[in-house]
Amino acid sequence: MPNESRFVRFLRGYGRLTIFMIPIGIAINIVGGQIAILTKLPLYLDSIGTILIGALCGGIPGAIVGGVANIINAITAPTQLPYSLLSIMFGVLAGFLSRRGFFTKFWKTLVTAPMFSLIGGVLGAIITLILFGGFSGAGTDFITASFVAAGVPITPAVFLAAVPVDLIDKIPTVILVYLILGRIPDRLLTKVPLGYVYLRKNVTASTPSKPAEAKTAADA
Amino acid sequence: MTSEAATGAGSIPAAQRTALIERFRRPMTLGNVVRDLPPGFVFAALVSLALVAASRGGFIWPPAICLGYIVIAFVAGVGRTFLVNFLRMALIVGGILFLARSATQPGTTVYFTIGALRVTRESVLAAGQFALFVVSVSGALILLFALVPIKKLMLALEQSGVTPRATFVVLASFQSIINLGNHSRVVAAAQESRGIEMGGSIPRKVKAFFAILAPVFLAAMGETEERALALDARAFGARARHTHLVTLRPSPVGLRILGIVLFLAGIASIVGAVTRWF
Repeated sequence: MPNESRFVRFLRGYGRLTIFMIPIGIAINIVGGQIAILTKLPLYLDSIGTILIGALCGGIPGAIVGGVANIINAITAPTQLPYSLLSIMFGVLAGFLSRRGFFTKFWKTLVTAPMFSLIGGVLGAIITLILFGGFSGAGTDFITASFVAAGVPITPAVFLAAVPVDLIDKIPTVILVYLILGRIPDRLLTKVPLGYVYLRKNVTASTPSKPAEAKTAADA
Repeated sequence: MTSEAATGAGSIPAAQRTALIERFRRPMTLGNVVRDLPPGFVFAALVSLALVAASRGGFIWPPAICLGYIVIAFVAGVGRTFLVNFLRMALIVGGILFLARSATQPGTTVYFTIGALRVTRESVLAAGQFALFVVSVSGALILLFALVPIKKLMLALEQSGVTPRATFVVLASFQSIINLGNHSRVVAAAQESRGIEMGGSIPRKVKAFFAILAPVFLAAMGETEERALALDARAFGARARHTHLVTLRPSPVGLRILGIVLFLAGIASIVGAVTRWF
């Protein structure tokens, strides 16, 4: 079709099921955050969908999930909007790590938590420092303020508050992603771009046998 | 058997049927002059207000513009919804920003000290200005989504050339949030009745969280396959221009020009503040 946009051609390469998985991933992010509040957990747990879709469908769909979920969250909390960049990078990293089999073993999955928290904590702290001068109006501001009260200058205080909080958040996040990935039926895995990594029959992460359609998209 | 009886249309009175058909022939209306404005114009006007609030700063412009948002919201008939979201954001985000910055910013006229935290006149003023700046800019975004329903916004984007797949992703996300939210509440109640405790220590809460969300997410992912088939049956993937049941009123040229003027005024306000010309 001559007037077909690049975006459409790009998404078509990922397979139609990926397009339908993206809204589910966005909803998982938002509902995960809501349930964390409901169960009074002191965690965000709002990037499960981003990492899950990134791991299943590839970095770009994961990035779309992260970006759109952040924009939707920004409807009621507009200060969250600049942090969309973090969510986009979570999606891209999840796709990258998934292709290398990081979510196929429990211990490997745990190794990914510090990687995500480095992005979330370090990049998040940089955004907080540049745009908000160190305080973004979130709960972690109180931790930052207590570091400042203890005599730590504002810049290291923001990093000291953000990185550990993000690590504590990302450990249960990646564990849940691992548990879900292990329970997805093969029938569905064969239809998503990176599903071949998680197929239980005769396939390992190091010797994948990519389905033809999935290969094109996953390599894009 | 007549064709009317065959389609079941005979069960609807003729007048109702005509009204129903007519509703789809007319452009979409929300029954309010402000809410019926083209989304592009609303966006330009609110961006302009946010830019003015950001560039002018101080204690007069941002509160005045916030008051303006509230007036616009009430005129548009969404005052209550807007006020709830706006006040929540202002109190939480604005409040935390104000408290944190007033205790950590430098200053000489000390009001009081708590440990190493010093609240000074200068820090309170700077914190107040910054909190007002953030609240006034954020308010524009909250008002945009209060004035323009997401369906209308997506329709406007589609009409301006955005692919239906992109707008589908956004619209389907909102529907999925509602469905998943309801489903997770049902699963939470079921797991509680099976004896899984929702309270207690953090590891116990994390366990309860897993027990609720893992089945909900797995079920949702399984349903995507069926949804893909259902949408394929409705030619969602057809490589042709999509038709719409709902249309938007065409944007008058005058409003388009006014939208551009307002946007440029916002940019001019920023330029004026940066260069200190006005």
